[in-house]
Amino acid sequence: MTTDAMSLTRRGFLGVLGAAGLAAGLAACGIGQSKDSKTLKFWNMPDGGPAFEPLDRKITLAYSPASGLPKASYQQIQWASFIQTFATAIVSNTGPAVSGGGGTQAFQFAEQGAIAYADDLLESWKSNGLYDDFLPGLLETMKTPDGYVAVPYNLDIRSVWYNKELLEKAGVEPPTDWQSYLDVAAALKKIGVYGFVASGNANGGDGFQAIVSLMINNGGGIFDEEQRPNLLTQANIEALDFVAENISKGYMDPASISYTTTNTNSQWQSGRFGLGIDVPGLAANVAGATSQQLVVGDPLTSAAGKQGALYFPNNIMMYKDTPSQKGSEDFLTYYYKHMAPLWTQKTGIGLPVLKSIVASKEFRSDPNQVKLIEKWQPICRTWAAPGSNSLFAGAALVDSTPAMSSFGQNVLSGRPAKECLSTLQRSLTDQLHK
Amino acid sequence: MTEQKKYGPAGGVLASGDGGQAVRADGVVDGVRRARRGVGRAGPGRQPQRAPLRKHPVFGSRTRTLLAFVLPSAVLLLLINLYPVAYAFVQSLKDGSLIAPGHFVGLHNYASVLTDPRFWGAARFTLVFTLVGVFGSWLAGLGLALLLRTRVPARGAFKVLLLLPWVVPVVVSATSWNWLVATPQSPIPTLLRHLGFGDVLFLASPLLAQVTVCVFKVWISFPFMMMMMSSALASVDASVYEAAKVDGAGPWQTFRLITMPMISRTTFVSWILMTIFCVNDFPTVYLLTGGGPVGSTRTLVVLAYQTVFQEFQTGTGVAIAFLMTFVLVAISVVLYRQIRKVNIE
Repeated sequence: MTTDAMSLTRRGFLGVLGAAGLAAGLAACGIGQSKDSKTLKFWNMPDGGPAFEPLDRKITLAYSPASGLPKASYQQIQWASFIQTFATAIVSNTGPAVSGGGGTQAFQFAEQGAIAYADDLLESWKSNGLYDDFLPGLLETMKTPDGYVAVPYNLDIRSVWYNKELLEKAGVEPPTDWQSYLDVAAALKKIGVYGFVASGNANGGDGFQAIVSLMINNGGGIFDEEQRPNLLTQANIEALDFVAENISKGYMDPASISYTTTNTNSQWQSGRFGLGIDVPGLAANVAGATSQQLVVGDPLTSAAGKQGALYFPNNIMMYKDTPSQKGSEDFLTYYYKHMAPLWTQKTGIGLPVLKSIVASKEFRSDPNQVKLIEKWQPICRTWAAPGSNSLFAGAALVDSTPAMSSFGQNVLSGRPAKECLSTLQRSLTDQLHK
Repeated sequence: MTEQKKYGPAGGVLASGDGGQAVRADGVVDGVRRARRGVGRAGPGRQPQRAPLRKHPVFGSRTRTLLAFVLPSAVLLLLINLYPVAYAFVQSLKDGSLIAPGHFVGLHNYASVLTDPRFWGAARFTLVFTLVGVFGSWLAGLGLALLLRTRVPARGAFKVLLLLPWVVPVVVSATSWNWLVATPQSPIPTLLRHLGFGDVLFLASPLLAQVTVCVFKVWISFPFMMMMMSSALASVDASVYEAAKVDGAGPWQTFRLITMPMISRTTFVSWILMTIFCVNDFPTVYLLTGGGPVGSTRTLVVLAYQTVFQEFQTGTGVAIAFLMTFVLVAISVVLYRQIRKVNIE
């Protein structure tokens, strides 16, 4: 057999194939890769509208580090399957040095030894004014016995909203306590409008958050001082009875149990919802003229005479896998000093955590957002309530998990309060023991 | 030919007391058998010759070359299939989380799963979802395939349109269905209210949500079945139908005794494939109901996902996936045996 110079022999072909396989294998194993020690990876979440990412990227890339410290790169991580994205990156040592993420993510990763605590950073902020710029009680939510796992970044609150036009049409004033809430809902029902809002869908619903917010409103919650689930309390039973009364009297849309937040937003928009507990960005999420009618209500006084609500201090965390811990801290200092435009330019990000941003003229131009910070934030508690205000790794069990979705759906389907609470208690206790 | 001896006298699919008809029925049965094996009557062919005895080394150069060609594929298969499965099995014996490998706990995860009522609830709905998904889509697909064999105007256009539910991404379909049924003001509940059915809460009632999810599955799956059945029907020799017609077979007899046996092999293959599709189907359920309300539409694959990625219990979630796989393999083996029986007959 004759071969010319360009033809490939069988043996040569196998050799090329083997080499390609070996190269692929080595690449998969990370052999031959060199970690770019000059770049500090910052991964952030899409915390706002379309304007958020370009501005956040611009702020990040404008970081000019001191000599010897790494520059920052920017990557946005989508909320869909975000925990898988972070977990995979961390175990393969390809994760970020600094990142945003889920509210309880830092606590989980800290337990696995992946988080660099922020104590030194916060100590350094005491001298530059940043430490004292945080809203009261916020830093405490990030504190664990081993240190601060993260730094608060933006807030999400479950507060009362109402459609002022519909309330006027129904001839009622906004509610101030649970009884007046029921009265307003009854008046709304007479004009064909629902007064108790819940998105119960197991994928894309947050109805359980509104329910827990009412439990906290009445002085209850999920965890005790020892961070163990303690659900069968009088405060929680009263809160669930309040929900049940709203349901049984027909103040809740009967399809709510399957609603995603998109369904709920469309019901607000069409004027079928007039009163309910919802997210800070509700007015922005509801398109059209209705958004102008949506107003944040006052905190409600509960049956037990208490006030309170659930909130989520979203945060930014540092990882041990970093080209430079000093670089991570230097970048975060820069970022927190320069992040104000994310709020002042109204990118749709959650509520601010710094008093200086709250005081800005641009932020104060939105009365709903101001009310959320001034009237609601001071009475808000985290998932750890009523036992403590500081979050912990175990709180991840209730941070939008199937157990909580089931709890929400049980409550919204009208099951007795004690049965719903017992089921959740059992589920959480089982999971904590696993 | 020893064929008659081998198979015995024909039972006569269309045989009656009349001898002449019995002979015609034999002809039909023979036609069916011939069509199954290929239409042409096989000739005697060349007699097999005994190969001359030659001494071969165990691994001759040709064998080594062939093995070398097979090796890359074998290595890839091992890397892509066997390694992840083996690694997952090891994970199912540990109490790890998403970023921690965890400690060895033996079969504790399997015991924990098998005593969890959520697992059995999900297993029950998976069974219902699979049965409805497989047979519902098969019936719809077969019916449409038969219909499209007739002289329907614009048959080609209909075929393309009927393929759309399979072609359109599930995310888009699920969003569309959510828009159709989610709220009391959605088009279908509105229509039903006007027809006097009151407020029908398709996704809020546990039973109706199960029905909706199953119907949605049938809707997105029937085009696949339609294509499978269309190709199977096209391969049936037309002369068999002509013979049956001559023998006086009616449409139902022709369908039951000619069409069904002739497409049985493809039918079993399509059942196996659709069973695998249904048991492993995550987006259909997750996008429409997320497994709710109150867990009524939670399937095993959704439960496995939630356990691993929302409850962060990797070992337990993988154990669920393994149990699901064992059952799936068992069902597939049973159906494959049916295919072998069809081949032998």
